[in-house]
Amino acid sequence: MSEANNGISRRSVLKGAAIGGAGLVAGGSLLAGCGKKKVAGDVHYTIRGNLSDAGAKINIAVNDAYTKKTGNKVISQAVNSDDFQNNFVQIMQGTPDDAFGWMAGWRTNSRADAGLLADVSDQVKALGSSLSAAAIQGATNPTDGKQYIVPTTYYPWGLHYRKSTMTELGLNPESIATWDDLIKLCEATKKKGLVGYALGDKGGWEAMGTFDILNMRLNGYQFHIDLLNGKEKWTDAKVVDVFTHMGQLIPYMNKNVLDISWDGMRDLLLQKKCGAMMMGSWFATDFKAKSQADYDDLWIVPFPEINPEHGIDSIDAPLDGISVAKNGKNPEGGADLAQFWGSKEGIDAAVAAGDTNIYISSDFDTTSYDAFNKQKLAVLGAAKNIGFFLDRDTRGDFAGPVVGPAIQSFLKNPKDLTKILDNTQAQWDALPAL
Amino acid sequence: MKTAAVNKKVRSRRSLSRNDRLTLAAFIGIPTLMQIIFLWLPALITIVLSFTYWNGINVSDIKWAGLANYKNIFFGTPVFYDALKNNIIWLLWFTFLATPLGILLAYQIDRKIKGHKIYETIFYIPVVLSLAIIGIIWNFMLQPGGFVQGVMGRDIGNAVSIWGNYSINTYVIMGVASWRHIGYIMLLYLAGLKSVDPSLREASAIDGATEWQTFRKIVLPTMRPVNIIIVVITIIESLRAFDLVYIIYGTSTAWPLLNILVFQNFAGQGISMKGAAYAVILLVLCIGPILLYLRNVFKEDLK
Repeated sequence: MSEANNGISRRSVLKGAAIGGAGLVAGGSLLAGCGKKKVAGDVHYTIRGNLSDAGAKINIAVNDAYTKKTGNKVISQAVNSDDFQNNFVQIMQGTPDDAFGWMAGWRTNSRADAGLLADVSDQVKALGSSLSAAAIQGATNPTDGKQYIVPTTYYPWGLHYRKSTMTELGLNPESIATWDDLIKLCEATKKKGLVGYALGDKGGWEAMGTFDILNMRLNGYQFHIDLLNGKEKWTDAKVVDVFTHMGQLIPYMNKNVLDISWDGMRDLLLQKKCGAMMMGSWFATDFKAKSQADYDDLWIVPFPEINPEHGIDSIDAPLDGISVAKNGKNPEGGADLAQFWGSKEGIDAAVAAGDTNIYISSDFDTTSYDAFNKQKLAVLGAAKNIGFFLDRDTRGDFAGPVVGPAIQSFLKNPKDLTKILDNTQAQWDALPAL
Repeated sequence: MKTAAVNKKVRSRRSLSRNDRLTLAAFIGIPTLMQIIFLWLPALITIVLSFTYWNGINVSDIKWAGLANYKNIFFGTPVFYDALKNNIIWLLWFTFLATPLGILLAYQIDRKIKGHKIYETIFYIPVVLSLAIIGIIWNFMLQPGGFVQGVMGRDIGNAVSIWGNYSINTYVIMGVASWRHIGYIMLLYLAGLKSVDPSLREASAIDGATEWQTFRKIVLPTMRPVNIIIVVITIIESLRAFDLVYIIYGTSTAWPLLNILVFQNFAGQGISMKGAAYAVILLVLCIGPILLYLRNVFKEDLK
């Protein structure tokens, strides 16, 4: 039921938002006339990560800009991102901070259904036409049609590489169009003594990116979403095909896939030890923090076509934003801060602090984007179906505890595939109804 | 039987002053109350919850599941058996290698072999570290890009696979865990050995007993109380193992342990009462052997 809504909403096009946006322009201007009531009081904000991270500095910069604008103090505290995510339910039931960076999709909607997150539909409405219709739909909880996250940024999952490395190797990833091209590219990289296809899966989620894109390329977006919502079977020959393709990449992977996590993958690329790496572009901030030269050297291309029927029409592009805790001391203030994050002033503050994300807001002038960000937009623009990434497109008690170990088992022992898939399906069947 | 009953009467007749009673009540009552509130009550709730479906948020959402969680674990979750296997390996390794080694070391140091002070210090140092810290240390040493890899001249791209290499990672983890456990057991046993009357050993030496015979027939039996503690500690440490592996692998079940499964299902993105069922299984596994062992020990004492 809810999945169907989800499917339809996400099939819409982010780049084609202008059409949907037109309707909202009217709505936005109407609301603008309502007059703003002033929101006051201190706002507590959770930074996911360490205070020393590049990301934390951006958070603080935006919050400072908010204080400057409104006079409302923002009290930020940094919490380890994994701990925050793992203990989210407990934190939200206690006395949580008012606002925090969060992720659209299952992680927001299920928590909203449980009554942990505050409705920010008014703030989304106030941002109005600056948000594309598709972004708003992506942030909408299918159960009640309201928004519980103010969407701010998104990023594509694609093949990342260093331009300098590829030039040295005499390769051009921008010319790869098919699966065979990709394999040839990996082969050529491997021959030069580098890792052809960098992967780490110690964290259990990193390889989901490869699974997602292979499934969307081979079987299409609809099959992918249906599979993740139990309408298709993991034992299907189509899923076997996905893993067979993943298996073909294994010879080109680093030999320590289960030893390294996403940061190991990043370091492989940073240290010029690998050719291509399938990852979400968010890690680019770390490149920029390292040096501008490293950042300028970074490039992204879409994963090549495998099945002509689907071309390169789908992509994982997780939508991030700011959510507000219902049980916080000042949910109104939190919502106001969330709205500020989505506004032009908020984005300007983030960019000034070195943020390399791309923004949903059309108030932000994309011509000022750097080359890498423009390329990210191009990669996103090539797709018409947007997935949110496996662990946001399916239930939390399935993604982490079931799919993660399943992919790890496959990478460990590809011969066990039939057994692994049988079991994955059996575990889906054993899940309680939501 | 009769004497016991008489003893009881005698004991109960010994009257306590009002103050004494209050003090005793406070000393026993408060810890008991705290145990009940903070340990037994949550444990009972966990047991009940293990028979339900619940996402951990609204109490009204709790649904009765019967044995479904257990069925799911025993028949549908292969990772459970991997975890069980790892816990059993841990237990066997500790029982047959680490603990005996610790005892042997303690015995040798107690005999004041040459340089025993140095050995004592060397083996004692890891004991002051928590397993979490030990995890951080060894992860830093062995992971790709880590110290040992650097010394071997391996960068992250061609680093030797250790944590992700399933033909060796179990042994590496066992080695790291033993690094601390051996010292811990040594320390406990050494303390016990100090209290063994040296005249007993002298007597056995005069009677012509070999070193091994003395250890088996004299030292080991006199060390009974310490032995009980060591057996219990070894079982509990093996079954409750968590922190070391969590530091290295996180919640991903790349090298599963029962406790990691509890944590993953309780604290992860999607909370499910499968976590409670894992916890109950672990509880039974922990309590079972220990109760059995203690019962045996006390039965012998009564004789």
